[in-house]
Amino acid sequence: MKIKRKIIVKLSDKVLLIIFLFASGLLFTVQFVIGGSLAQIFVLSYIVYNFMFVMAYLVSYRFSKRITDLTFKIEAMAAGDISKRLRVAGYDEISQLTNAMNELMSRLQTGVAQDVSTHKELAQAKSDFVTLASHQLRTPLSIIKWYIDFFITGDAGKLTDGQLKYLKEVYKSNERLIELVNALLDVSRIDVGTFSIEPEPTDIIEKAKAAISKFKAEIYEKKINLELNFDELPKINLDPRLTQIVFENIFSNAVKYTPENGTIRFEIKKTVHDILIKISDTGCGIPREQQPKIFTKLFRADNVRRIESVGTGLGLYIAKAVIEKSGGKVWFQSPSLDLLLSPGKKDKGLPLDKRDQGTTFFITIPLKGMKKKYGTKKLTSLEH
Amino acid sequence: MAEDKKTILIIEDEVAMLRALVEKFEKEGFNALSAQDGEEGYEVAMKENPDFLIIDIIMPKMDGITLMKKIREDEKWGLEVPIIMLTNLSDPESVSEAAKYKVYDFLVKTDWRLNDVVKLVKERLEL
Repeated sequence: MKIKRKIIVKLSDKVLLIIFLFASGLLFTVQFVIGGSLAQIFVLSYIVYNFMFVMAYLVSYRFSKRITDLTFKIEAMAAGDISKRLRVAGYDEISQLTNAMNELMSRLQTGVAQDVSTHKELAQAKSDFVTLASHQLRTPLSIIKWYIDFFITGDAGKLTDGQLKYLKEVYKSNERLIELVNALLDVSRIDVGTFSIEPEPTDIIEKAKAAISKFKAEIYEKKINLELNFDELPKINLDPRLTQIVFENIFSNAVKYTPENGTIRFEIKKTVHDILIKISDTGCGIPREQQPKIFTKLFRADNVRRIESVGTGLGLYIAKAVIEKSGGKVWFQSPSLDLLLSPGKKDKGLPLDKRDQGTTFFITIPLKGMKKKYGTKKLTSLEH
Repeated sequence: MAEDKKTILIIEDEVAMLRALVEKFEKEGFNALSAQDGEEGYEVAMKENPDFLIIDIIMPKMDGITLMKKIREDEKWGLEVPIIMLTNLSDPESVSEAAKYKVYDFLVKTDWRLNDVVKLVKERLEL
């Protein structure tokens, strides 16, 4: 935005000019009426000018200064500190203006305060609702889980293979609901800011391996070629649960969207100040126009919706919140440069435009570890 | 054989859950007792002095944490009896409250299969 700058003629200068003209006129009138030598008039005018100048300067300076002060303070308020009030002196127009300004600021401030507290109340209410709903949901979900388990384990008698297959589908769906409830709880804790980060000396490689092992079956089933490249690392201060949640949330996407015989590369490296984690996949990639939105709550890209209906759209949101609150960074690149430059097994030899686009997620965690964050709630979800 | 049976007391207000737990533990060779609120649970616990307790937190009349606190006040049996909290809560306040009273483990119901709960109890009792 371009601001037009006008030449500002100070009020005091205007007053001086008026007084100068007025005094000159007065002196010439005096000379005309009573006569006198030019020298006398000159001396007299010299005295009068000086006197008038000083007087005028004093008067106009006072006004001018008050207005400049006022402007300065109002600018300061506009810049953010609306809790300040202007000092009112005297009973003239400037004082009236000052009073009016104070009144305006007071109203503005109460408005903003109401706004902030309404916002907080809303966030709290939202969180309370999610917590209550989640706990209420967990009871029937556990009951379903346990009773189906009676059939799956054979405790409730023998079923045919076909019956068992159906029940396992029910069980799987129920597990998805459980994960969704856990994720919702986590999101509400993130949104209200009540989740805690409790760093302790942690083997990050072990956490990565624990995350990977949760998806062993799927990796095997899809014959995914998993390339691990972990540096030797000392223990660093990390919240072990959160670290695993982040790894699982990002790694699960790689597993989910990498096609059969695809490649996933998982690297953990030490750089100067950070631990750099890279998770690359040869999945379908993220459409360019949707890339800005992928860390948004509940967002799922169009192309993955078509492939796979499972997914809460909460995983990346949780991962990003956790990493950023603990002092790290997370970002991604799609298509994945890494996999385009050195393709995995399946894509080797294929021309560039025939290969899967792939995505690489990058995470950095400072070498000095995660920042401690006090909170009343722990995150629970380990999303699949 | 009957004398070898370990007694487990399950205190849970949700009937379907209580039934599932009791049935499972009986199948696994336990003598399973049950109670549907904190007060009843306390009475049964003091009378029967079971070998193991599984307690829910949110219950009518007396909540699980208060119940555990009261049981720990009993110096003869209650001080050492292993207790598992099996609940829907997962907030750290409850976890750390429970930790104060030497809870053996704190489990979120939806995260645990019954088989694994039994395994955990058996491990603790060295069965």
